[in-house]
Amino acid sequence: MARAVPVPLALFGAGRIGAIHGRNVAAHPRLRLAHVVDPMSNAAVALAAACGARLSSAEEALADPAVAGVIIASPTDRHLDQLLAAAAAGKTIFCEKPIDLDLTRARGASGTLAGARLMFGFNRRFDPNFQTLAGRLASGSVGRLETLNITSHDPGPPPLDYVRISGGLFRDMTIHDFDTARWLLGEEPVEVFAAASCLVDSAIGTAGDVDTAKILLRTASGKLCLISNSRRSGHGYDQRIEAFGSAGMARAGNVSESTVVTWSEAGLVADRFQNFFLDRYAEAYRLEMDHFAEVLAGATPRVGLADALAALALAEAAEASARAGRPVRL
Amino acid sequence: MGAIHGANAKAHPGLKLAGLVEPRTEPARALSVALDCPIVELGAMLADPRIEGLIVASSTDSHLDIVLAVLRAGKAVFCEKPLDLDLNRLRAHEAELASPAAPPQVAFNRRFDPHFRALKARIESGAIGELETLQLISHDPAPPPPAFIPTSGGLFKDFTIHDFDVARWLMAEEPTEVFAWAACLVDPAIGAAGDVDTARLILRFASGRLCAISNSRRSAYGYDQRVEAHGSRGVALVENPRVSTVESWSTAGALAAPLFDGFAARYARSYAAELDHFVRVLDGSAAPTTGYEASERALALAEAAALSLRTGAPVRLADV
Repeated sequence: MARAVPVPLALFGAGRIGAIHGRNVAAHPRLRLAHVVDPMSNAAVALAAACGARLSSAEEALADPAVAGVIIASPTDRHLDQLLAAAAAGKTIFCEKPIDLDLTRARGASGTLAGARLMFGFNRRFDPNFQTLAGRLASGSVGRLETLNITSHDPGPPPLDYVRISGGLFRDMTIHDFDTARWLLGEEPVEVFAAASCLVDSAIGTAGDVDTAKILLRTASGKLCLISNSRRSGHGYDQRIEAFGSAGMARAGNVSESTVVTWSEAGLVADRFQNFFLDRYAEAYRLEMDHFAEVLAGATPRVGLADALAALALAEAAEASARAGRPVRL
Repeated sequence: MGAIHGANAKAHPGLKLAGLVEPRTEPARALSVALDCPIVELGAMLADPRIEGLIVASSTDSHLDIVLAVLRAGKAVFCEKPLDLDLNRLRAHEAELASPAAPPQVAFNRRFDPHFRALKARIESGAIGELETLQLISHDPAPPPPAFIPTSGGLFKDFTIHDFDVARWLMAEEPTEVFAWAACLVDPAIGAAGDVDTARLILRFASGRLCAISNSRRSAYGYDQRVEAHGSRGVALVENPRVSTVESWSTAGALAAPLFDGFAARYARSYAAELDHFVRVLDGSAAPTTGYEASERALALAEAAALSLRTGAPVRLADV
């Protein structure tokens, strides 16, 4: 079989997550990074050089007829404008979560975006451990799924500059868990209750955000989901799922840096958890870019516009619930 | 529960079981033989000056009357949880039940479980920094018979009451607000009896700390009893003990031994330890660890949770 010529892509945003995607594109046999678009970043220069791409303006990148696809990994408040521009240019799009900070604005653009080939970077759907868990649930090995506990604690809080533009804990962090819940429950949550506090860093509270939360989701059939969030866990990146069914329970645990344990008089010492998303979800990022290559070749995106809007709707409902101290219907 | 406490009392070197107060049914006769003590009347026990204490493990709706009778007879009492199903009735007897002269020991057994105690000690040692949030998982292997449901007081008073006590104990702070969602997913007969069998609850404390509780009346894989204590510098966990440490590995993966199949096996050491504590209450060397206040607070949390479930809104403890 003849090897296809790699598909040229443009990357918007050369920050932390942009660099992951850019390098995964460069390493992918069917993809090539042609343009890096980031007006104000030295990191963009380094990334473009490392990936064999050139620095371009958004207009240049979108006007390049060779570019088939665009990856949007810019700050969240730029996502929607860039989505609309890329869609207008007829590009296939990979967009980081969340779609926007404002649900009404995102819904307003959904008519225009509905015709675009578009996938969203809910990377946990591509994590091999979580995919195996989903496969076990689908195979019926725990019977009928009844409840779900999702634990999602970051190792440490982000810089305050990031907190201020993040859209808040629910849009920035819990949005992953909302997507995971929808994916695994196989049913839409109809109501959300969120209890949140600022326990980690009072500066986060001063910036108007929270850093610790317990959130409940309820579906029409009565399935319940508990989400535990913290911006700081003293023990590393804590990412676990437990799915309770009528015939058993399936869980995906944390991934450790090594499998080595030592025993002494004091007890057992195991290795630390892989620290933060660059390590823990490295394979998920590779696999979601591989899926984007399939989408570019004609496959249907596994995480689309409806998923992005549904997760953002849950985030806004959770924020409203935490503020009002009452459950909120979707 | 009576059979468990009876066997522990019989085995304890500091106790002598003088009588079993039960109607003379066949199971009671069998238990009296097993415990090597006669079936007796409550009145005779209360009037007998040689009897120093009573263990109350009868049905919940009889607890309070018996406990009050025992206290009025000047004897010590160890009572199963909950002390009563009605918060107002319990509060009406506060003066007697909270009397420093002879307070009852109420059996919140998890405080005596070696695993939970080790967790509490880790938290207090500062090993995880400041405790911030708790996750309690408490799933029974199988639902009780439907006939038990109407006398149980419902999931929150019968079952979650243990978790409410554990939350207060580990946090060392009073919850100020509770929110509960629940459903009947396990057995429609439980729903028909007006109860629920599956729940998620969130407790909020005055300091802003949070506790989440997972409950189910059925867990096909065994008795699931875990705690996660998340602190500023780490997390401390109580995992499920298994019936053996054996694992086997094959091409299909790893197979570990199952969890214990119920409270009698999982919490055997806690039941022995709480009765041993009662012996020390009897000889005056210790005070009851959980009495009126723990009972009243846990029952208030259960009533608040039931109210939250009915109204669909969080309930402040100050309003219960």
